[in-house]
Amino acid sequence: MPGADKEADLTERIEAFLADLKRGGCGTGPIRGSGETARETTALLRKVTAQARWSSAGDLMEIIRKEGRRMTAAQPSETTVGNMVLRVLKIIREEYARSRGSSEETDQQESLHKLLTSGGLSEENFRQHFVHLKANVIEAINELLTELDGTTDNIAMQALEHIHSNEVIMTVGRSRTVEAFLKDAARKRKFHVIVAECAPFCQGHEMATNLSKASIETTVIADAAIFAVMSRVNKVIIGTQTVLANGGLRAVNGTHTVALAARHHSTPLIVCAPMFKLSPQFPNEEDTFHKFVSPHEVLPFTEGEILSKVNVHCPVFDYVPPELITLFISNIGGNAPSYIYRLMSELYHPEDHDL
Amino acid sequence: MSSRGGKQKKGNVTSEQEEEEQPLQAVLVADSFNRRFFPISKDQPRALLPLGNVAMIDYTLEFLTSTGVQETFVFCCWMSNKIKDHLLKSKWCRPTSPNVVHIITSDLYRSLGDVLRDVDAKNLVRNDFILVYGDVVSNIDVSQALQEHRHRRKVDKNISVMTMVFKESSPGHKSRCEEDDVIVAMDSKSKRVLHYQKTQGLKKLQFPMNIFQHGSDEFEIRHDLLDCHISICSPQVAELFTDNFDYQTRNDFVRGILVNEEILGNQIHLYVTQDGYGARVSNLQMYDSVSSDMVRRWVYPLTPEANFTDQQGQGCTHSRHNVYRGAEVSLGHGSQMEENVLIGRDTSIGANCHISNSVIGNNCTIGDNVVLDRAHMWNNVHISSNVEIHQSVVCDGAVVKEAVHLNKQCVLAYNVVIGPNLSLPDGTVVSMHHPEEEEEDDDDEFLSDDQEVGHSKDKTRQKAFQLEVLGTLQRGLEENIVCDNLVLEINSLKYAYNITLKEVMQILTRVVLEYPFQQQGTQLTTLQYTGSLLPTWSPVFKNYIKRAQDHLDCLSAVEELFLEQDTHQTAMVKVLMKMYQLEILEEEAILKWFSTGATNDKSRQLRKNQGVSTTLQSLYITARKALCGERDCFPVRRTSVCGTVRPVQTPGLNTEVFLSSSAPEVYPVVERSRG
Repeated sequence: MPGADKEADLTERIEAFLADLKRGGCGTGPIRGSGETARETTALLRKVTAQARWSSAGDLMEIIRKEGRRMTAAQPSETTVGNMVLRVLKIIREEYARSRGSSEETDQQESLHKLLTSGGLSEENFRQHFVHLKANVIEAINELLTELDGTTDNIAMQALEHIHSNEVIMTVGRSRTVEAFLKDAARKRKFHVIVAECAPFCQGHEMATNLSKASIETTVIADAAIFAVMSRVNKVIIGTQTVLANGGLRAVNGTHTVALAARHHSTPLIVCAPMFKLSPQFPNEEDTFHKFVSPHEVLPFTEGEILSKVNVHCPVFDYVPPELITLFISNIGGNAPSYIYRLMSELYHPEDHDL
Repeated sequence: MSSRGGKQKKGNVTSEQEEEEQPLQAVLVADSFNRRFFPISKDQPRALLPLGNVAMIDYTLEFLTSTGVQETFVFCCWMSNKIKDHLLKSKWCRPTSPNVVHIITSDLYRSLGDVLRDVDAKNLVRNDFILVYGDVVSNIDVSQALQEHRHRRKVDKNISVMTMVFKESSPGHKSRCEEDDVIVAMDSKSKRVLHYQKTQGLKKLQFPMNIFQHGSDEFEIRHDLLDCHISICSPQVAELFTDNFDYQTRNDFVRGILVNEEILGNQIHLYVTQDGYGARVSNLQMYDSVSSDMVRRWVYPLTPEANFTDQQGQGCTHSRHNVYRGAEVSLGHGSQMEENVLIGRDTSIGANCHISNSVIGNNCTIGDNVVLDRAHMWNNVHISSNVEIHQSVVCDGAVVKEAVHLNKQCVLAYNVVIGPNLSLPDGTVVSMHHPEEEEEDDDDEFLSDDQEVGHSKDKTRQKAFQLEVLGTLQRGLEENIVCDNLVLEINSLKYAYNITLKEVMQILTRVVLEYPFQQQGTQLTTLQYTGSLLPTWSPVFKNYIKRAQDHLDCLSAVEELFLEQDTHQTAMVKVLMKMYQLEILEEEAILKWFSTGATNDKSRQLRKNQGVSTTLQSLYITARKALCGERDCFPVRRTSVCGTVRPVQTPGLNTEVFLSSSAPEVYPVVERSRG
C-alpha cells in the first residue's frame, strides 16, 4: 500500500510544519526568516500537489485551500504562509486555463462588463480532467521556488541605485533583506549606518554586529534617540514583516516612530520587501493583526512583587500607514505605495483572497 | 513500505551512535497523590481540571512535545479512566503525533516512588528521561539542561543522576508556592546541589558543615528559586527508587541522595533558567496565579488563542488588554470586560456586568449586574443577576442564584446550587459530597495544608492491627506460646502497621476483653465472662502498661468497651478487680480514672453503677492503709490531678477538653479522706 503510506507521510509532514509554526516565534520573532517560511510552505504545497489524490483542478484547489486554512490558523501573524497558498492557487488557475487553451483566465482585468457577463467563474469550470495538469502545476511551483530563492539577491542588486557615497542611513531592528541590501552597497560605496536597537528584543544589536563585520561604519542608538538623530540621516531603509493591501506595513515595533520622525524631517523612507510579503490583508482585521508575546523581555519574571501589581504587555508589531512610505523595493523593482493594489491583482486571484 | 524499510536500515547503520539517536522519553505522573484540591478532585482528577479552559495535562504534554520528547509514559491512578478517555480523544493519540503517548494505569500507585519503581520493574526507560507531574505548565526550553546533563554524565561516568530545573524568581513573587519554597546550596561552577531543604514553616535554617568543606572555591546558597517540578533523570533514578523502597517523593529522593552521597557517590545537579515559565499547579493558590500568568501571556506560545490542543471550536480571539473571546460569545449592553479576561465559547453575559482578571468556561450563562473579579468559572456554570464573585473557583455545572456574594477564596465544587440572597464568608468550600470524608480545614483552602489526610487511613490501619493481634493471641492460646514471644510478635506488628504505643495498649485491652464474646457469643453470663478472662495474658499487659498514663489509657479502653456492651456493665467491676489483683492496674490509677474520666452521661452512669463505686471504695481503703505512713503525699497528688486542664481521650467518642477541677463534686471518697 504505497499510496496510503505516502499519504500518512504527507500528513505527518504537514502536522510537523503546523506544530513548528505554532511554536515558532518565542519572542524575537520567528526563528526562521520569513523567506524560509515561504519556501517551506511552497515546498510543502508542492508535495501536496504531487501526493494527494485529486483528479481535477477543482479538487486540488479544494485540498490546497483546506490545508492553507489550517496553516494560516496555526500562526495568523505569519502572513507569508497565506500568501504562498494564494500564489499556488493562482498557479493552478493559470495552468488549468492554459490546458483548456483559453487565454481568458490570464486576462486579469476586472471590469464591470466582465463581472456582468461571466456570471462568476464557478468551480464546475475546473472539473475537466487534463493528463498533464499535475506536471504543469508542479513545474510552475518549481519556478515559484526559484523565484523565492532569488528574492534577496534581486533586491540587494538594486542597492547601488539607492545608496550613494557618504550618506547616513538609518535602519531599525534586524531584517535579513536590509542587511543584504546594505552589504551589497558597501562593496562599492562608503556610507554610515545608524541602527536603532529596537528594544526589548534588541535585534538591532545583532544587525549592527553583522554590518560592522562587513566593515560598514555602524552606530547603535537607543529607540528613544531616533527623533534626535533623524536630522542627520539622509535615508531610512527598513524591512517589514508584511506589506498590507493598502500599502501600509506591519513591521517590527518602533518602525512607526522611525517613519514619523522621517516624515517630520522629510527624510525618504525606503522599504525593502520581497513580493512574497505582499498580503491581501487590510489593517482593520483586529484579532490577527496584533501579536503579543511573553512580557518577559519587558519586565523579567525574576522581578518579584512588582509583577503582581502591574500589567505588562509586549506587542511585537507596529502598523505604519502608507502615507509615510516613500518607496517599496521588491525583487521586481521599485514601486510607490499607491501601486500596491496593482501588484496585488497580478499576484493573487481576487476570488482567493479569503481562503 | 519503502520509507519504512529505509528507517530500519538507518537504525542499523547508526547503532554506534545510539546514545544520540535514541528518542527522548518522559514520565508524566498524572496524579498528585495528595488532596490539595479535595472536594473538586473527587469528581475530576487534577490533571484534567481546566486551566484557561484547557486541561492541565495538555499543557504538560505540549511542553514535553515542544522540547522534543518522542515517547511519553503517562501514569494514572485516581480516575485513570477519565484521563485515558481524555488522552485518547486528544491530538496526542492521533497517529501523526510526534510524541507517542503510552497510558499506564494502576490503582496501586500511592506516591511518586511507586510510579518510578514500576518504571524500573517494567523497564520502560532506556535513557535519560524527563520526569514531570501532570499539572506542570511550562514553556521552558530544557534542551540546554538536557545537553548539560548528558555532558556531565559522559564526563563523570554516570555520577550525576538527576538535573532539576529551577526558575529564578525572587521571594515575594506571586507564583512562588509556599509549600515548595526551598533553599538550595550549590556549587557555583559545577551546579552540583550540596544541600536542599524545604523552608516551609522554618524560622531557622541549618546547614551541614560539609558543604563548606567540599573543596570547591565557590558555592551559592539560593532562596530565589522556583521549583518547576521538571527533572531530567537518568535511568538510575528509577533503580534507586527500587533500592530504597521508603522513598515516596522526589524530596525524599533528593535528600537521600545528598545524605548518602559519600557512600553511593551519586550527585544531583541544578539547572537554573531565567527565561521561560514553569510552575506546578500544586494547590488552589497556585492555580489562581498560574491561570493569571497564562492569561497575561507569560507562557507564550501556550496562550489561549493559540489553540495548541488543536480542538475544533476551541479557538478564540485575542484583543487589547488581554481579553480573549471564544466563538459565539454574547455580551449584554453596558457590560465591561476590563482586562485579562478569557471567555469560552457559547457563553452569554447579561447587561451591566463588570468582569476583570477572570476565566469563564464554555456554555456559561451570566445574568445582569454581575461583578466578577479573579473568578475562575468552568464549564456550564449558571450565574443569576446581581451576583458578586471575588477570587473564587466555580466548578462545572454549578448554579449561583440571585444576589449571592462569594467572598475571597471560595470554592463551589461540581453541580452545587447556591442561593439566593446569601453571602459566603472567605474561604468557604461547598461540595456535593458528604463532609465525613472532608474533615480537612475548609477555612483556607487556597493555602490548604491538610495534615489530616491520613485520618481515615488511620482507622483502617487500626482495624487491621486489631485483627492481627487477635489472631496472634488466639494462636498463642492454641499453641501455648510463651508470653514473651507474644510480646515480641505484637511489637513487630506494631512497627508493621505504624501504631503508637498508646494505640497498641488500647487495642490489646479491647481484644482481650472482647475475646470471650467472640468465642461464646453475647449471651454469656457475668460469671462466665469473668471466669473466662484469661490470666495467662497478664504478662503481656504488664509489658505494655508501665507509666501512669498507660494505666489511664488502659482504663479508658475498658470503659469504652463496656459502654458498647451494655448488658455486661456489671462485669466491669469484676474485670477491674481482676486486673487489680493481677497487678496489671494500680489502685491509684483506678481512683484517678474514676474521679476524672466522666465525659458524658453514659460513662457517668457507668461510674454511678453501684458495684463500681463500692468496689472502688474498698479499693481506696486498702490504698489508704497502704499509704498510711505518708499521709501528706495524698493532697499533693490530688492537686496535681485537679489543677490541670487536660484532654480526656476516649477513642471513638467526642474528644473534648475537660477541666477536672470542675468534675462532679470530685468524689466522696476523697472528701472522706480529709475527714
